Amino acid sequence: MAREERTTKKRAQRIDLNYFKRPHPLRRMRFWLSVGIPVLAVLWLAWHGFAGSNRIYSGGKMSAAHAVLTAKCDVCHVRTASSFSAKASDQACLSCHDGPMHHPNQVFTPQCSSCHEEHRGRMRLTATADVRCTQCHADLRTTGVPTEYVRDIEKFGDGHPEFAALRPGAVDPGTIKLNHAIHLKKNLKGPNGEPVAMGCEDCHRPPTSAQPLRFGATMTAPLAIARKADLPMAISERAYMAPVTYAKHCAACHGLQFDKRFTDGVPHDTPGVIHAFLVQRFQQYIATHPAELREAGPDRTLPQKPVPVAYRIVTPSQWVTERVSESEELLWRKTCKQCHALTIPSDSSLPAVAKSNITARWMPHADFNHERHQLLQCTACHGAALTSHETADILLPGIKTCEKCHNSSVDGAESRCFECHTYHDWTRQKEVKGNLMLDGLRRGQ
Amino acid sequence: MRIDHTHKKWFAVSLVIFGVATAIYVPYAAQSSSGPRGGSAIGLTFGIVGSAFMIFAGLLAGRKKLPIWRLGRAQTWMRGHLWLGLLSLPIICYHAGFHFGGPLTAVLMVLVIIVVASGLFGAALQHYLPQMITVQVPGETIFEQIDHIRGQLLADADKLMASSAGIEDDSPAVAASGGLELATATVAVEDEIAPLRSFYVLEMRPFLANHGERHQLLADEDRAYSAFQGLRTLLPVNAQQTAKKLEAICDEERQLRRQAKLHHWLYYWLMLHVPLSFALLLLGCVHAFTALRY
Repeated sequence: MAREERTTKKRAQRIDLNYFKRPHPLRRMRFWLSVGIPVLAVLWLAWHGFAGSNRIYSGGKMSAAHAVLTAKCDVCHVRTASSFSAKASDQACLSCHDGPMHHPNQVFTPQCSSCHEEHRGRMRLTATADVRCTQCHADLRTTGVPTEYVRDIEKFGDGHPEFAALRPGAVDPGTIKLNHAIHLKKNLKGPNGEPVAMGCEDCHRPPTSAQPLRFGATMTAPLAIARKADLPMAISERAYMAPVTYAKHCAACHGLQFDKRFTDGVPHDTPGVIHAFLVQRFQQYIATHPAELREAGPDRTLPQKPVPVAYRIVTPSQWVTERVSESEELLWRKTCKQCHALTIPSDSSLPAVAKSNITARWMPHADFNHERHQLLQCTACHGAALTSHETADILLPGIKTCEKCHNSSVDGAESRCFECHTYHDWTRQKEVKGNLMLDGLRRGQ
Repeated sequence: MRIDHTHKKWFAVSLVIFGVATAIYVPYAAQSSSGPRGGSAIGLTFGIVGSAFMIFAGLLAGRKKLPIWRLGRAQTWMRGHLWLGLLSLPIICYHAGFHFGGPLTAVLMVLVIIVVASGLFGAALQHYLPQMITVQVPGETIFEQIDHIRGQLLADADKLMASSAGIEDDSPAVAASGGLELATATVAVEDEIAPLRSFYVLEMRPFLANHGERHQLLADEDRAYSAFQGLRTLLPVNAQQTAKKLEAICDEERQLRRQAKLHHWLYYWLMLHVPLSFALLLLGCVHAFTALRY
């Protein structure tokens, strides 16, 4: 064999015993790479440092709301001379926007950043975790007077009570008489006598709806639902249905005729205004029709109406008084009473009409948006409207209806607390004066 | 280092640490309000532990510089480097909540992944290649000496050819010219060994002198064997011994080539692993400082 000629001993003798004193090229390369790459890393940091940018130290993308502050670390991370830490403080948050307290009787106030976690990507800061709410509401304790709210809510599907308006003992404070079932029947008599079938949207529209009502006046000006000061949260202008009003929704079908001599009706107003209107209209009428002073009065056979004599002569004021009385009898006892709760006094004074008290928002502590649910038919949630005959029926869907979609299953819609509730009591909001300028903000200086 | 039964304890301990870390992380991540964060108490603990593992792994370089210090056995350090370095990847992922975060943390995550992956690749090479070298390179030498020995092989071959032509090493012809001229000059002198000299000039010397050439006749063991077999049939008896020695030199050159190739695999991954490890430790310190501050 050729290999046997070159023994190990011979090979060993050929080794340069000082070889280790001169590093191999590979070792030299490794050394320089080991120096060069960390130096590159330092240069990278230094470059950003000299450029005055700290964004490389960011813990992640800012939320969409704060994305513009990505290069302005010190807006939130305020440094103080005496402290090493420069963590985002509540004062930094409050310098740009107010964060009103939740409730006067709360036992502690969490830090802004404990609920609104930044540097988590382009997410909504308001999308807080349930645990931020349940850290109190799972075992609710308050200072001062005991709370009226449920004390042990774990999440929407666990411990959350039925909506207050649907709990036993809750009543609809409204006094307007309405039969939903009748209004949703087919072949109702329309404004011109033609048969119509009404739908929910013929009466219930958001305030900013531009489409004309089929059986009412066009909604030109938004109707106020509730003032912001009344409610602890901001609402979309299409979130809630505008209150139903007689003039826009009912008048087309439900006229307020008071006498066959006139084609128009009385104004939908207080009894005093209506009385004055009637007096004025009859006075105007008799002035132009004096012959009627010698004729028999209207042969209407209303209950308790005295039998008219065939012919008699009355003064204009007598005639007006009698006609007004007849018309008011019709209105107070039939037309108005069909919808309103009237208290008719025994004497001849005007009746008292109970306030309508229509509830614009059934859940004052929660936010709801009809617009977000527009993919559904109204009766998908308000199914009881089809069979509701009583005014007192509260047609607000219960929590079980919401839970059909809003649950914690994989394909469930959002069911965390923030979906409906807002922590901050915006009725206590204070105006904040900003202190940033556009140029500095965009340059990141 | 071979990963054999002597790693059992390290493997078991690493498995336990990984299991405990996972058992802590899973419920922590599930209950975290908006996902796990490095700044939380548990996230910070993962960060400290992961960093400690990486620092320990990085100290191996220092330990190698101080071989005579009583700092524990080198094998123990190596095993610790291997297993704790490997563990640092999941622990750091738990620390980061499997997010890359901002630019610096993203760079750190990439570095951790590359360093650990290259370390795993290197560990696999260290496990298999030495055995392969032992089998394929019986004449293995010190890696750093390969070029030195190749030079000697070339000189030995030149000497053999000169002696076969009857020219002494210290003759003026040898002194005045290189080995190539010596070989070519003697071709005309001895016609009997002309085939050997021709073979040496055209095939063998280029093979010995140009290490980078892959497609040479003698670079392939089978083709080289055939070539030498054919050559021997053309040579007289007194030149057979020279041919045999030249064949041995070629054989050793091939072994050295193979050893160099395998050793390059053993070294090249370190070009990635070591420099990036230093960068990782450096940037990790910066990250720790800025994260604690902000």
